[in-house]
Amino acid sequence: MTDTTNTSPDVDSSIYDELPDAPPKTRLRLSWVGKISVAVVAFWVFIAIVGPYIAPYHEAFFIEDDLAGNPIDDPSFMLPSSQAWLGTDYLGRDILSRIMWGARTTIGISFIATLLAYSIGITMGIAAAVAGGWTDAALSRMVDAVLSFPNIMLGLIVIAAFGSSIPMLILLAGVIYAASVFRIARALGQDIMVQDYVEAARARGEGLWWIISKEVLPNAAMPLATDFGLRLVFVILFISTLSFLGLGVQPPISDWGSMVRANLQGLGNGLGGGALAPLAPALAIASLTIAINLIVDDISAQAGGSLAGKMS
Amino acid sequence: MWQMVLRRILIGLVLIWVVSVFIFILTQVLPGDAAQIRLGQQATPESLAALRKELGLDRSLPVQYFSWIGNLLIGNLGISAAGGATIESLIGNRIGNTVFMTAIVTLISVPLSVVLGLIAAMFPGRLIDRVITSGTLGLIAVPDFFVAIFLILFLAVQLGWVPAVSYLSGSEGFWKSVYVLALPIGTLVIVVSAQMIRMTRAGILNVMGSPYIEMAILKGVPRKRIILRHALLNAIGPIVNVIALNLAYLVSGVVVIETIFAYPGLAKLMVDGVQTRDIPLVQACGMIFCTTYVVLILIADIASIVSNPRLRHPK
Amino acid sequence: MTRKVTGGIVCGDLAYEDLNPVDKGLIDSALRRGASRREVMGYLVASGATIAAAGSIFAGAQEALAATPKKGGSVRFAWDLHGPSDTLDPILFTSSLDYGRGRIHYNNLCRFRDDLTVGPELATEWEANKDVTEWTFKLRKGVEWHDGSKFSADDVVYSMMRHLGEASTSKAKVLVADVKEWVKIDDHTVKAVMTAPNAELPIVLGTFHFKIVKNGTTDFQNPIGTGPYTLDEFKPGVRSVHTRNDNYWNTDHEGPYIEQYEAFGITDNVARVNALLSGDIQMMAQLDPKAFSQVEASESAEIFAVASGAYPTISCMLDKEPGNNPDFVTGLKHLQRRDRILKVIHKGQGSLGNDQPVGPAYGADWCKEANDPVSHPYDPEKAKFHLKKSGVSGAELHVAEVSPGLTDICLMLQRECSKVGFDLQIKKVPNDGYWGAVWMKQPMNVSSWNMRPSANIMMTLAYKSDAPWNETSWKNERFDQLLAMARAELDAGKRHEMNCEAQKLCSQGAGSLIATHKAYVDAKAKIIKGFPRVPIAAFGGMEWPEYIWRDDA
Repeated sequence: MTDTTNTSPDVDSSIYDELPDAPPKTRLRLSWVGKISVAVVAFWVFIAIVGPYIAPYHEAFFIEDDLAGNPIDDPSFMLPSSQAWLGTDYLGRDILSRIMWGARTTIGISFIATLLAYSIGITMGIAAAVAGGWTDAALSRMVDAVLSFPNIMLGLIVIAAFGSSIPMLILLAGVIYAASVFRIARALGQDIMVQDYVEAARARGEGLWWIISKEVLPNAAMPLATDFGLRLVFVILFISTLSFLGLGVQPPISDWGSMVRANLQGLGNGLGGGALAPLAPALAIASLTIAINLIVDDISAQAGGSLAGKMS
Repeated sequence: MWQMVLRRILIGLVLIWVVSVFIFILTQVLPGDAAQIRLGQQATPESLAALRKELGLDRSLPVQYFSWIGNLLIGNLGISAAGGATIESLIGNRIGNTVFMTAIVTLISVPLSVVLGLIAAMFPGRLIDRVITSGTLGLIAVPDFFVAIFLILFLAVQLGWVPAVSYLSGSEGFWKSVYVLALPIGTLVIVVSAQMIRMTRAGILNVMGSPYIEMAILKGVPRKRIILRHALLNAIGPIVNVIALNLAYLVSGVVVIETIFAYPGLAKLMVDGVQTRDIPLVQACGMIFCTTYVVLILIADIASIVSNPRLRHPK
Repeated sequence: MTRKVTGGIVCGDLAYEDLNPVDKGLIDSALRRGASRREVMGYLVASGATIAAAGSIFAGAQEALAATPKKGGSVRFAWDLHGPSDTLDPILFTSSLDYGRGRIHYNNLCRFRDDLTVGPELATEWEANKDVTEWTFKLRKGVEWHDGSKFSADDVVYSMMRHLGEASTSKAKVLVADVKEWVKIDDHTVKAVMTAPNAELPIVLGTFHFKIVKNGTTDFQNPIGTGPYTLDEFKPGVRSVHTRNDNYWNTDHEGPYIEQYEAFGITDNVARVNALLSGDIQMMAQLDPKAFSQVEASESAEIFAVASGAYPTISCMLDKEPGNNPDFVTGLKHLQRRDRILKVIHKGQGSLGNDQPVGPAYGADWCKEANDPVSHPYDPEKAKFHLKKSGVSGAELHVAEVSPGLTDICLMLQRECSKVGFDLQIKKVPNDGYWGAVWMKQPMNVSSWNMRPSANIMMTLAYKSDAPWNETSWKNERFDQLLAMARAELDAGKRHEMNCEAQKLCSQGAGSLIATHKAYVDAKAKIIKGFPRVPIAAFGGMEWPEYIWRDDA
């Protein structure tokens, strides 16, 4: 047995709330799973952009008459047909159209909110790491206060007080998740600040801004980017939990999470009675989020485990 | 280290106080007060004024806050503004319920996640890794209420194996309670494990990519030994941190599960408190959640310090 | 297979089991009232059933009714709302769970029958003086509280006085605003002294908030009642447990039959249905119309529906922009697809509304001439004309889901508006805080009303010019006059005429968009039987606790 105990661990595992994966060391080459995932994400982004223009109906459209123009007795929870390819929801609206319209809302809200969380979290996290001392302590305690507070409680209060418009939802999710991003960014920042190359830069007399932009950010970028995937899922789920409590996006705007919620009863009615109505948007959420995270996994598997994977 | 623990406890106490002020201010932003909500559609100006007086809501805000703090210091949590029961009685058995559920879910999900995460990390990119990662992703990628209702329909309504509501009378034994709670426990294990598995895997892979592990691999150290002795030990800090945050979530954030299974826990109580503008109740819940968070993070920090020599002896 | 037949119309060859829950209930009620075979058959045939079908329906109904109640067994029931605000204080009852517990634990002075008349309960008889300004109640003798003490006039005076005066926090204060005081005559006689004539006081006293509590009770965590069940445990937001009171005073029937009740809430609609279907609970209130087909397909559970005058409504406040423009309101009224709302949102369990609060379930109080056909039928052309004339091009409607399906009704209206080029914005707000911050404040808002025991009470509460809950700020002198006259009128024919005129006025003038009246639709295990069907709240007006029984006991 080789004695490895003297191989002192050279890596710092500071406190992240979710640990990002290591940056890739080689040029990215995706596996076939990764390629499919990229295709899926690209598909949804495409739908988000053009969905409303190519959808068969408007998201607020109620199907009332059949194709021949005769009134339908009860258009809710209809089975798939040439009129509504995925059937209708509990009010008789076309599910396919609502998913296409909803792509824009769901992807838009979660993407912008996650970006917002990242810009707030990274700015403050790196600032805390670089500045240290009181700035760090004050920012960290503030973040602790937000984190110790259940998300849903903040959501309830903010929405009850200011309403649930889409900008409000984005702001809310952005601020809540900024706290988690802050913790990661700060830990990474602290890690990097004590690296030799940063100390060397300091010794050279480089300014703070130079160090942040040229040393800290590039080195923290990849781990932060890989955390992005999971964060996006959390935002989508957070919005759908709000819709569970009746506080989601404003009707008649469609959003995948609220579609699952509003049609949930269809699941109990069985495949013949509307199970597709909650299943279809649930699958949309799942396909998007799984694809994003599989891409992330692919990168981390290649980067982190290239050697480990070869051992067998 | 003891110094650090002591300092953290002090900071924790300050944090709890800050949160209490924060909650008080936030609840003032909300439209309506406890009297208004309680009388609802049937409110008349007269009955509103009468109820406000009865609940002490006609006093000025600072007076309300300090009378609450004063009572708290002598161990009196106050009376629920929404229904008139004492806060102790409302919180009392729900704490037990929440702790029980959290404990069981933790006991199942933590070992499960660490083992599955380890396995996935041992074979990154292989089939078993793909199965574990996409399986867990599939489970967190859909809203939890969807998973819960699906499990109810399948296991409770169709097969009749387990109850659809988590209704405990308080006289059940341990195994009977676990049986009654099977569905919410299962749903929560799915929800929290998925994230912990991913983080364990990511944490270990992160360490595996580091030069000293590569060195060990090249030296020919057996894989098992590398992962268990070096990688896992070094990844403990972040893993414990994720576990701590998930525990905090189990205590305060599982309102959907508590609602669907009608399980009387703290998260739903807090949501009810906010919705009925029951400030004493929201305050009490806020204190509990904040304390839980502070304690869990403290434990996680200690664990990562103990497991990491470099943190144990800072430069 | 249940055919969805609505509004008391039976068609085709059906057996009793095939009837829709509302019709089943109508026949049950008729039989319990002692209606003869001839009457019931007549009704059935008049509604379109063949003689053979009517015969088989009648036989089935009789058989179901003749089954002898059995004693024993326990029942768990889950209602749609519960939380820390659950209370056993009658004057603060809010949810139907509170109402149910109240019925289990306490008694009223008078009790509702299925036809909304009142019969004796803790009061055995009552009479008014000539000008109906004083009501005297004779109280039942030999009634004991759960702690063994004797029930007397002091308890009644204490309970009733809690609704009066400035300091009262009662939710039903408005209903007894014209009562000046309650006076004890002797140990078993009390008198209500009124400031204005009110022939309907006994009816009011049958409603939920007028339960009799023990003299001097201030702590309602563990109160004492006279009701059919005693309290074992009460934890707000968790559950309550009630055990049969074997010393119960009511000897008119063999009940109470059920050994023990456990009451709690499952707030999620989907979860509540599944709890019933899996057999974890035996009764559930507020069945989501989307779940009708799931329950109908079940072997162990069935729908329990009672036609009612309850209604969800959209209000345009007439004293604010744009509701102050009559053409705007008229235009919107013409855009309601009432039949569609009834079909798609209520799944047929209800009746068409006519923009005024009284529906067919009010029986003789409802005026067919004034409401059928509706005064503002769906007519996009007319709507377009009126909206154009009004000069209003858009409006904002504040919506909270205070009644299931209400948001969907608003969405349908929005859709119809967009068809005629009118921009109706919907602003959804949370339920909590809604009544205080939005209702009767925003120019367009929504609300939801339970059925009241009489048309007069309903219209007085929500439409009298000076009513605190006059939600559309409609002021009409003639209407107020009619209400007061009808209240003092003892001749049924004249009263009906007044009711007709009032309903017509309200439908034309008020700012309410009442497209439908909905039935109370709940669900229960098939083995639970014997329910009364009073239409003023969920589950037959919550009158069931001492009557229902388990067939498998």
